Amino acid sequence: MTNDNLNKLLVFCVLFCAQKTSIVHGAQALETKVALLLHAEPENPKCFAEGMSDLTCFWEEDEERTGSADQYSFIYTYQNENSSECSITALPAAGGKRLYFCRLSQTQLFVPLDIRVFRDDLLIHNRSLFIELVFLLDPPANLTLTSTGTQGQLKASWLPPSLKYMGDSMMYEVSYAMAGSHIGKVEEVQASSELILRGLQSGTKYKVRIRVKLDGISYSGYWSAWTDPVLMETMPGDLDPLIVSLSLIISLVLTLLSLLVLMSHRRFLLKKIWPIIPTPESKFQVFIYIFCEWLGHSTGGLWLRPAYFYSEEFPAPLEVLSEVSLGPALPSSALPPKASEALGEEDEDEKLKRVDSALEGWRETPQEHWPMDQLRAIHQHPAPWTQSSLLESHDAYVTLNAQNHSGEELLDDILEETLPLQVLFASGRTSSESRSDLGSFQQSSGLGRLSSQSSFEYPNHTWPPKGPGYTYMAVADSGVSMDYSPMSSSKIDDIGKGVIYTNEYKNEIPAHRRPIGTPIPFAF
Amino acid sequence: MSSISGLVAVLLTVLQWAGRGLPSPVRPICDPRVLDRFIMEARDTETALRGCKAGCGVTGTFVVPLTNVDFVVLETKDTEEQALEVQSGLFLFGQALGAVRESVSRAAVKSLIDNNKSNIHSLGQVLRSLHIKDLSLSPVPAVGDSATRKVSSLSELLRVHTNFLRGKVRLLLTNAPACQQNST
Repeated sequence: MTNDNLNKLLVFCVLFCAQKTSIVHGAQALETKVALLLHAEPENPKCFAEGMSDLTCFWEEDEERTGSADQYSFIYTYQNENSSECSITALPAAGGKRLYFCRLSQTQLFVPLDIRVFRDDLLIHNRSLFIELVFLLDPPANLTLTSTGTQGQLKASWLPPSLKYMGDSMMYEVSYAMAGSHIGKVEEVQASSELILRGLQSGTKYKVRIRVKLDGISYSGYWSAWTDPVLMETMPGDLDPLIVSLSLIISLVLTLLSLLVLMSHRRFLLKKIWPIIPTPESKFQVFIYIFCEWLGHSTGGLWLRPAYFYSEEFPAPLEVLSEVSLGPALPSSALPPKASEALGEEDEDEKLKRVDSALEGWRETPQEHWPMDQLRAIHQHPAPWTQSSLLESHDAYVTLNAQNHSGEELLDDILEETLPLQVLFASGRTSSESRSDLGSFQQSSGLGRLSSQSSFEYPNHTWPPKGPGYTYMAVADSGVSMDYSPMSSSKIDDIGKGVIYTNEYKNEIPAHRRPIGTPIPFAF
Repeated sequence: MSSISGLVAVLLTVLQWAGRGLPSPVRPICDPRVLDRFIMEARDTETALRGCKAGCGVTGTFVVPLTNVDFVVLETKDTEEQALEVQSGLFLFGQALGAVRESVSRAAVKSLIDNNKSNIHSLGQVLRSLHIKDLSLSPVPAVGDSATRKVSSLSELLRVHTNFLRGKVRLLLTNAPACQQNST
């Protein structure tokens, strides 16, 4: 029993609340419609139909004229029928005024209706109307915005008022504007429940609202109240093809203009960007000439060729063999700085000085190939090394060896084929010993150390015996090309006992390292 | 011979079938814009002749149908009853407009009256397309006096005519079963 009572109480409360909500909602809707008609309808009483069979009429009285509802009478008469009276209710209004209402629950359309309002038997209002021409509907419900999948479009859909026989007579007005803006557009649509809004900006939020009215042919009435606005953002837009094409055209025009300006001022710009670097070649030639003259040599020698000094190539180690017959030694004097640079890096200043002094004793004959001939003569008639005319005290033998920093790694670091100039000397000693002097050049890429020996180190003709024979490469510079010939100090017959490795002369800095062969062992 | 006789038989069958005059099925006219045009022309005629002096010279009384529509009552009527009311009313209007045309002298007034009479005739065609028998050309004895009333002026006649078209005729066309089948 208790549970049943509670259930009943709960149901009653729910219904009461629902009715109260609907009553409140209805009151708000009535208040809105009254406000609309007070603004839109000049005649009195102001009447409107909300559905198929109802009619609501009201009028407003000022404060000084207000009275009770009993003072008023509302008489209505359909054509060719008897008059009837409607009960009046009064409601307070703003400003001390009062509103008097009459509501009919059963009506006839398409026939004239005469209305007369009396206050204390005094006719105050008289009006004739057709009920089908005074419809004031509720705003459409369920206004929804959706995306159509196309840029700049939104689809608005709504639920039409549920009035039978009038669906094709309804007209809708859709108002849309950007959120935050008061300037919008309005579109009308008839007998439809959706509308596609076009021409919208991409990626923009829009607010849309709608109202309804009958079209006025068979039925007519007043515009309903606007629905609550609904917001939605349109799809983000892609690059407008027109804007892209215009941008490309403008950029192309600007590029052409800049090219024209650059072309017209190219000489000026070239001078500024790549100024002509004066070459001191002409001045160096003067110095070289002076040097040659000073040394008493012609300008055809290997050492004194201007191109040798100015070459950007890595200075090649060079072994210089003095001439067979040489004149008196020239007084020592310092080499020009260019000549010393050609020798490459040296870590021993003393040796460099000795090289300088050796160069002073250099003599050249006008004959370009006499060193080759002389050497061949020597081969044919080998003399003891220590007693060779080549080892005169006044003779200068300069050997330049490029030594690597590490000892044992020398052989692995140097590419045999890439040595700029390789003069192979072999003696009976091992490769490790030969490294120190006249052995094969072992040069690291760019970090070679040059050690030099000259005959001046052994003033007492104690030139280290290097054996009865050795192989070497003779270099002959004709001024046009340089001729390299492997030579051997031993007899020709002995040449076949050993293996002579000859490397191609490449005046280049070795690009990479590869293991290098050992110096040539030469057996005697 | 047998082939010739067979061919003749087929030919006769075809001719007989064509000779029956089977009408092509009339497409139902359910577009509300058709009646809307008639309504607007009737309203324009009413507006134009409202200020006609002395009723444009029209005298006498005219029997017109009632135009009031009670939706609650309408729900209780079937299509045939509604169709009967519409067709009898169209008949009465046809008769009245004919009498008015005879009594007016102005050509402009005659033209407007003729237009409205033509629209009434067209409405009969529309009803026939909806499989509703056109009785506009013949009297409808089933309709009693309670369904009619009398008017004594041209303006009143035209106003009733407009209201009749906007109300009962339109509701009949909207509720016609043929149009309901097309919409579903």
